[in-house]
Amino acid sequence: MPTTPVLEFRDIARSFRRGEPVLSNVSFSLAREEVVALLGRNGSGKTTLIQIAMGMLFPHAGTVRVFGMSPTDEPVAVKKRIGYVAEQQILPSRSTIPDLMAFHRYLFPTWDVALERSLLSRFGLSGNSSRMSHLSKGQARQVALICAVAHRPELLILDEPAGGLDPAARREFLETSIQLLNREGTAILFSSHHMSDVERLGGRVVLLDEGKVRIDDDLDALRESYCIAVIPRYAAHAITTIEQLPECLKVHQQYTDWHAVFRGTPQSVQALLHDTFGLKHLQCATVPLEELFIELVGGERTAEAL
Amino acid sequence: MHLLINPGDDLPIYRQIMRQVMDAIAGGRLTAGERLASHRELSEQLVIAPLTVKKAYDELEALGYIESQRGRGTFVNARLPKVSRAVRDSQLLDAARSLLSQAYLAGLRYADVLKVLADANHDLTDEPTRTRRKES
Repeated sequence: MPTTPVLEFRDIARSFRRGEPVLSNVSFSLAREEVVALLGRNGSGKTTLIQIAMGMLFPHAGTVRVFGMSPTDEPVAVKKRIGYVAEQQILPSRSTIPDLMAFHRYLFPTWDVALERSLLSRFGLSGNSSRMSHLSKGQARQVALICAVAHRPELLILDEPAGGLDPAARREFLETSIQLLNREGTAILFSSHHMSDVERLGGRVVLLDEGKVRIDDDLDALRESYCIAVIPRYAAHAITTIEQLPECLKVHQQYTDWHAVFRGTPQSVQALLHDTFGLKHLQCATVPLEELFIELVGGERTAEAL
Repeated sequence: MHLLINPGDDLPIYRQIMRQVMDAIAGGRLTAGERLASHRELSEQLVIAPLTVKKAYDELEALGYIESQRGRGTFVNARLPKVSRAVRDSQLLDAARSLLSQAYLAGLRYADVLKVLADANHDLTDEPTRTRRKES
């Protein structure tokens, strides 16, 4: 029997102003114990997609299912089992940390007081009874994280969890997420611009580009079976044909040469370019995730632009 | 044993783990029958996804360096995989050629290369985190 995915997007489309699609045909799903990193430039639709999963926005087309349910039709049943930290978490400014913890304990029947205490002490917030408005940005995010995980959710959704945090706080955030993943099998969907965090959490990468899923693949596959080929300017006539190859994901100009991103190992891509175009000795290499990201979603770099 | 990973490295994290475990076995810092940290322990210690640890261990097991025993843990194999003499010799010769070529291009001499080898041997067989004792 196939198990229900924890989270499933099917052909999601959403636009804001008329004729300006933010998301189109977005489909992917998450199983238990799975981690998916949502990558993309600012404005590529990551937050919109996360808000659709949370039932905060309706999709204009397509369906979203969380534990097999619609997050807008059954918001309570769904939210009980999700932990969510928004990009800009707004906590009630006049509440104190103990107020907020008491409120969540009351909201969630599965709230784990021991986990709450251990996280408060790990973050150095035990006995702190400041109001939210008096906390630093990092402390406020830590409080938001505790609120999102202490009921031991089956799905954790983190929108830019590292935003504005110092490296030590980011690491604590990651440690907590990984422990949850290990102990509860919690599925995690997170968006981030910190590639080192993406590498640590591992799993799958979904790259959104102009509202579409450009890549959905294992992190290790991205590291080992995608490569960049440098097409020198004397071969520029071949660019339009190279772009049509099914293995080619993107070409863009890099000053006077061209860069083409391929799915395949450097050896296979070299052989392909040799067989198809007779291009010999092209430079082909796998690159770290950050470089691949920039190659895929970055703009053109030409001498004129300077 | 102590592992260190670097997420920004050219090598994916699971390959970094594989390499360090193989180095430790080669250098005798991990001995036959010794138990490795569990997926969960290593995942939390290195702050990486448990699946990454699993992938590294699975690959090491496929290569014959370690063995996982249901419910007991993962251990360094008592008998390391046999490599045919011809393959071993040709791989070593390749590595030696590339080492010498790099060294000579950098202006080193044969004696300098031997010293580099001695240093590398020291690194491989000693815990890298341990501070080096003064040479007597």
